[in-house]
Amino acid sequence: MTALVEVPASFDDRAFEQLASALAAIQEPGRVLMDAHAAEWASPFGLVSLLCAGQAVRDRLGSKPLLTVPADKDVATYWARTGFFVEAEELFEIHGSVPRVKQPPESTVLLEVTPVRVAGDVHKVVDRIQERAAAILNTELGLEAKATLSFGMALSEACQNIVEHAGTGGWVAVHAYTWRRRLGKRVVVIAVADPGVGFRHTLEPTAAKRYGDRWGDGAALEAALIQGVSRFREPGRGAGFRGIRKYLDRWEGKISIRSGTARIALIRDWDEDVPLREGLAAFPGAQLQLVIPAGTPEAR
Amino acid sequence: MIAEIDVRAVLSRSVCEFHNDLVTRSTGRAVRSGIEAHLREHPDVTVVVLDFSAVRVLDCSCADEIVAQLLLRSAPGAAQGRGTYFLVRGLDEVHADQIDEVLRRHGLTLVAEERGGAKRLLGWATDPMRAAWERVASHGSALAEELATELAWPVEVARRALDDLAGHRLVMRSDAHYLPLTAA
Repeated sequence: MTALVEVPASFDDRAFEQLASALAAIQEPGRVLMDAHAAEWASPFGLVSLLCAGQAVRDRLGSKPLLTVPADKDVATYWARTGFFVEAEELFEIHGSVPRVKQPPESTVLLEVTPVRVAGDVHKVVDRIQERAAAILNTELGLEAKATLSFGMALSEACQNIVEHAGTGGWVAVHAYTWRRRLGKRVVVIAVADPGVGFRHTLEPTAAKRYGDRWGDGAALEAALIQGVSRFREPGRGAGFRGIRKYLDRWEGKISIRSGTARIALIRDWDEDVPLREGLAAFPGAQLQLVIPAGTPEAR
Repeated sequence: MIAEIDVRAVLSRSVCEFHNDLVTRSTGRAVRSGIEAHLREHPDVTVVVLDFSAVRVLDCSCADEIVAQLLLRSAPGAAQGRGTYFLVRGLDEVHADQIDEVLRRHGLTLVAEERGGAKRLLGWATDPMRAAWERVASHGSALAEELATELAWPVEVARRALDDLAGHRLVMRSDAHYLPLTAA
């Protein structure tokens, strides 16, 4: 029997919960069809999380899930331009025509969907962003040159969570686009996701005792993001998220992380998100999103 | 003897000649090992200037593995520590932020010369240590008594601040004089 899981038409971090709930509800062993034919748009978070879902299903059920390509040609072309299908081929049995595309020189895709498994991959990601995207970050988003260097730092630290803690590979993608409804301005969005062991498992040896009965996915996210707790006990560990937070503070940026059954977010005045959500549908690994709004340099 | 080490060049030799950025812990460990190997070959070096001028991106993890671990492992009490003095040079504001952050987490301090030439302390230091270091750096040397007079401190407070700086290898002590590292 084939279980049908619909990919939300507008697939971002909020809509991801629909996908996670549908996947968690699958009880019977069998095949899974992830149906994206009605997809209209996907954020980088949606795309890298969909890859995580593909790997999680494959690992759980022992066979590749099916994936239908978006029926809208423009949508399918955009997904192809993001590099999604290159990675998806390994994880899904793809049904539908995947457009062949070339990356235009001034693309909103600052970094295609890129696998992150080892430290060398993080170097490639940072290098590509500095080489290709610095001008776009500077001209389109008003980020000063030094802010693009900090952007590289934040990107590196976010990716290193996969290398250091996930126990498996993951993906990163960076896009720039306009958030009309939520913010009314251009944003850069970094999405980093893995289907690995998740924050709770990683931090259990060092943090569970401190939280007692409260220990769970939400407490683990709080320990990592707010307290700077690491699975390593040396004092220099856990500084990565602090560095990311300092960078986001300066640029009014937002971070949200989903892991297991919880999601934490450091929210801003411009946002309507909630700081912590628990009791969500279980989903493996960790999925992180950074949003950096276009700057007004004179105000910084 | 003073040795100046181009950290970007160590990155090329130790990890990959095509990498421009000091990112990831494993890269930091490799670069630190390269620096330590160089210092083992030159046992007469007492002051090391780490030059970051050619470095583009530096992240916290890499800064921790290179700068903080070099300081910890070279401290006189550490297994292979020989009390080497370290300075960092050629930092931009972003680099300085990362290094400051990791040093504070370890309770460490370092003298930094930024790209404009200005010198400052990065990391953890008490207010008396910072005030005393400013005087030593600007005057070229200091005695506890002179510092006490200038800052209207009791001599013991001034001496303790200078000794703390020497203990953190931020100044050198020569008899009763305390000297900035760059003048040593």
